[in-house]
Amino acid sequence: MSAAAPATTPVVAEQTLASTRPESLWADAWKRLRRNRAAVISGVLLSVIALTAAFAPWLPGMQDPTIQDLRLGATPPSVGHWFGTDELGRDTFARVLHGGRISLMVGLVATVVSLIIGVSWGAVAGYRGGKTDEVMMRVVDILYSLPYIFLVILLLVFFSRSILMLFVALGLVQWLTMARIVRGQVLSIKQQTFVEAARALGASDQAVIFRHIVPNTLGPVIVYTTLTVPAVILQEAFLSFLGLGVQPPDASWGTLVSDGARVLALFPWLVIFPGLALSLTLFCFNFLGDGLRDALDPYDRRDVA
Amino acid sequence: MSLAAFILRRVLIIIPTLWVIATLTFFLVHAAPGGPFQAERDIPAAAKEQLLKKYGLDQPLHRQYAHFLANAARLDFGPSYKFPQRQVREIIFEAFPVSAELGGWALLLSLMLGVPIGVIAAVKQNSRVDYGAMGLALAGVSVPNFVLGPVLVLGLALSVYWLPPALWQGPESRVLPVLTLSTAYIAYIARLTRGGMLEVLRQDYIRTARAKGLGESVVVAKHALRLGILPVVSYIGPATARILMGSIVVESIFSVPGLGRYLVNAAFNRDYTLVLGLVLFYASFLMVLNLVIDVAYTQLDPRVELA
Amino acid sequence: MTAPRGQLEPLGKPCSTRTCNRRSLRRGLLYCAAVKRLALLTRPILRLRACVCLLAGVFILGSCAPAKQAAVGASATGPRWFGDTSPPTDNTLRFNLGAEPETYDPNIAVGQPDGRVARILFEGLTREDPRTLEPLPGQAYRWELSPDGRTYTFHLRPGIQWSDGHPVTAQDFRWSWLRLLKPETAARYASFIYPVVNAEAYNKGEIKDEDQVGLEAPDDSTFIVRLAAPVPYFLYLCQFYSCLPVPRWTIEKYGNRWTLPANIVTNGAFTLAYWRQNNRFEFARRPSYWDAASVKLDRLIGYTIDDLNTSFNLYKAGVIDWCPSGYFPSQFIPYVRDYADFRHGDYQGVYFYSICVKKPPLSNVWVRRALKLAVDRDAIANDLLKRSRRPWGGFAPSGYPGYDNPPGIVFDPVKARECLARAGYPGGKGFPKFSILINTSEDNRRIAEAVQAMWKRELGIPVEILNQEWGSYLQATSALQYDVARRSWIGDYLDPTTFLGCYLTGDGNNRTGWGDPRYDALLRGAARELDPARRFAMLREAETILLDDGPVIPVYHYSTNELVKPYVRGIYQTPLDIHPLTRVWIDRDWQKGPAPVATAPSTRPTEIR
Repeated sequence: MSAAAPATTPVVAEQTLASTRPESLWADAWKRLRRNRAAVISGVLLSVIALTAAFAPWLPGMQDPTIQDLRLGATPPSVGHWFGTDELGRDTFARVLHGGRISLMVGLVATVVSLIIGVSWGAVAGYRGGKTDEVMMRVVDILYSLPYIFLVILLLVFFSRSILMLFVALGLVQWLTMARIVRGQVLSIKQQTFVEAARALGASDQAVIFRHIVPNTLGPVIVYTTLTVPAVILQEAFLSFLGLGVQPPDASWGTLVSDGARVLALFPWLVIFPGLALSLTLFCFNFLGDGLRDALDPYDRRDVA
Repeated sequence: MSLAAFILRRVLIIIPTLWVIATLTFFLVHAAPGGPFQAERDIPAAAKEQLLKKYGLDQPLHRQYAHFLANAARLDFGPSYKFPQRQVREIIFEAFPVSAELGGWALLLSLMLGVPIGVIAAVKQNSRVDYGAMGLALAGVSVPNFVLGPVLVLGLALSVYWLPPALWQGPESRVLPVLTLSTAYIAYIARLTRGGMLEVLRQDYIRTARAKGLGESVVVAKHALRLGILPVVSYIGPATARILMGSIVVESIFSVPGLGRYLVNAAFNRDYTLVLGLVLFYASFLMVLNLVIDVAYTQLDPRVELA
Repeated sequence: MTAPRGQLEPLGKPCSTRTCNRRSLRRGLLYCAAVKRLALLTRPILRLRACVCLLAGVFILGSCAPAKQAAVGASATGPRWFGDTSPPTDNTLRFNLGAEPETYDPNIAVGQPDGRVARILFEGLTREDPRTLEPLPGQAYRWELSPDGRTYTFHLRPGIQWSDGHPVTAQDFRWSWLRLLKPETAARYASFIYPVVNAEAYNKGEIKDEDQVGLEAPDDSTFIVRLAAPVPYFLYLCQFYSCLPVPRWTIEKYGNRWTLPANIVTNGAFTLAYWRQNNRFEFARRPSYWDAASVKLDRLIGYTIDDLNTSFNLYKAGVIDWCPSGYFPSQFIPYVRDYADFRHGDYQGVYFYSICVKKPPLSNVWVRRALKLAVDRDAIANDLLKRSRRPWGGFAPSGYPGYDNPPGIVFDPVKARECLARAGYPGGKGFPKFSILINTSEDNRRIAEAVQAMWKRELGIPVEILNQEWGSYLQATSALQYDVARRSWIGDYLDPTTFLGCYLTGDGNNRTGWGDPRYDALLRGAARELDPARRFAMLREAETILLDDGPVIPVYHYSTNELVKPYVRGIYQTPLDIHPLTRVWIDRDWQKGPAPVATAPSTRPTEIR
């Protein structure tokens, strides 16, 4: 929303209330973010990981991740194979790089889904309260309780398997805990004086929720989002097990880690390298998330302003 | 609204919700390809017919549904299709205490470690302690339990023979599964506590408390923590349900006879009665926990009203 | 021994089973000579372990630790043994029973673990020799076969009892076998006694009168079985666990729940003392067993561990004394091969790809031939599976007495390309994409990936891999909704018909839509043929047709791979992976040398005291 927004009274009212320079909210946050070195480095690193994964097939000197050498089998890291080879004699380095494509996409989608659906669902339920809250939260309970395996199996039965179905399967459940967390926060925040004030000034519910309440829940929201990323990347391995997700001979970090775990004592490099890629991504997401949180923090902003 | 009325209303709402869950699950399960008596090896047609008849699976679906609802209302799901000598109820009552014990210890450990770590990290934000604790927490999240479990076994049960590598026998057999199960939860709780505390520590009433000259530890423990752990409280509802219902990964690695293995295997086996029984058990458990959590909000944060 | 469960997996490999599904879900890890490698583990893990060790303090870790120190290996000169080799202090055999049995009611048991429990609890007319599986006198101490080969007369041992004191009678056997056949029992293995007069008709409900079935008990100790035609391997059939006797009065009283420990009555060497689902079975020696004097073990504890790595870890730590075939990860075979614990042998099973012939191009016999010839079985069995299996190009496994296996399919890429060209797809051009269906397991997937690469490389054919969980996979294969699917088959008895019978036109186990009148005629002819040589020649011809035109692409021959502690005596490798445990014993003096010959169970005369 910008200052040029149509001047219905409530909107104007709440804008003046929120900040003296409302249009600078995002610009301001961006400025703060850039000043956070850990966040910047993480962002850059994340982009590098994402780009190498996305363009892995076209990188010069990259080995084909599906070329097998059964006689060679699993070998430890060497000059020819930086990350060693797997039991079919395939180059683990190439497989880890290629595997990042689906894993990062999955991580991103889950993040977006849990942010958009989870936050709005939880915020609306918490803010409205009463019957609305009751119904919305029971929907969450129901989705929590349905046996996920059957949901996935049925997705596979009724739709052709595709990357879209994978996202649907993740999207179905990824936002549930987020919704509960946001609702819990909102229940507490909505009683605070600044919310009362905004309401008293005639701000619409929508405006109150998204301009005043949600920014105050950002701390736990961002923390929980970053924590979800690795969980989702690993969950993709389970979906692959059911036939959704990556199809052999392709791999993802999730399937690489879970396959590697089975032979961890024999061929530890098969779990270490995809595991490192996963951890690195998580750390980046985390620092970036912390940076974002600080940048968007309404209290900090107020202090500066 | 009084607390008692609130609880009563919520308990009453659980019943229709369970009905929705039961209905959806029933049709989900029956829509999945295959059935409970399918096997790699062909069953003679006559035998299959008899089996279906025996379990009422030859009836039209709506009749089966009515039958199932009537049974469910009596909390009796009948025998498991895969383990015909056992009632679903018996399986749940036998396996749940095991999962609950394992999960209970893990939950306790997660709270006992996760909350203090998170609080300390928040209080000493951006210090070395904070970075150390949060780095560890991130590591905890990024090492999945199916990697951690085997590493612990390798290290503590097979390199040195301190602990049994698996099986649920004797107190020492609890250590490795509990550690494996709790690590991720410790990390989640520590991260969420820190996030919640950071939010709260900036608020006006904390400044007021500090300004009144209260000691920092009193401010933190008495005032900030109450609200700071709200995100953890929200998280803990579903997390408790999940952790107490058992984890298939941990139970398989350590050969623990808990509930976690049943649900997944029952799904693969299309053991309809067992799946339905487990889902409804889990759902009721989850909703009771969420009710407890909602009551806890009002106790922790005086501003929250019973809705 | 067939059975969807443990059935297919001597090594946990194949996965036809639900077990496997389970196994693939769990992730194990394992021992190895790799403490050093542990140091390579990622930093996060190391950090985490450090943190975890700290946490362990909370549990007062050190003080409650059961210190079982492993004596690794025996003497410096003798054979090397794997992991802990200290015998248990009690007279108990602890072992991994496998996946949780669905039931151990002998008549309806299906899986290998089901059968394992049933065989411990019950004893049939005959019992297996632990080494050769030949029938030895069991509940029947002698039997006669009529000159026309159609009537068996079994004489029960005098004075034998059930565990509740009831005498074991011929009526018990007759009732049990009739129960196996009764349609209401819905037994999956009723067909085992189809050779009995009218058994099939009774089982299918065409005959209601049980007296028309060729089973008679003229008095308490005489059980007469009349066959419709001579069956040379009939004694092997009635050794199968489906034919074990069951106690009528408890079944009538308790129904499905008669097998619970509190209700069960047995006639074997052991009784069921304790059972907890997904944990363990405990069997106690039964003093009233007719041969109790030669039962040396007081107790058997069979843990139900379906996770292969867990099973292996427990074996290494000495918690279990016997890790049966199929219950440790195949990847470890190269590392345990040199230890004396490791026992390896042939197993009557074949892992193969099944082709659905319903639609083109797979309905074209030349396409099928091309696919068969382009699979490099040596590379799969020897390189990928590290010689834990034998490359196999035939359908019936080796080792059936009297059967001369036809030459198997060999890897011949040149000929494969010729066949493909002949089918109209030279160089694979224009070949439509098709898929290999597998039920998800790591081993199935590795093999499928290898085959996928071979077909792409040798034939230029694009193939995708379709993985499904167990239930969906079964539905797809039985409804013929697939192109090529992974399957495996384990023999039930020692005759090639246990394999070849699957591909009769329309057989329930066919699942390919393939049928050939020549094949059917040969198999039917063989069933009527009395001369063994001519019979086997007909079966051989049928198998040749199957391999040449049919819908199967054999991949490997199963093997048993098991681990047995040095102090366990009396467990032998057998081709059906059946292990009679009645006379197994714990040898505390195992280091003094091999067991004295006199204790070898198979040569022990049946004593009556």
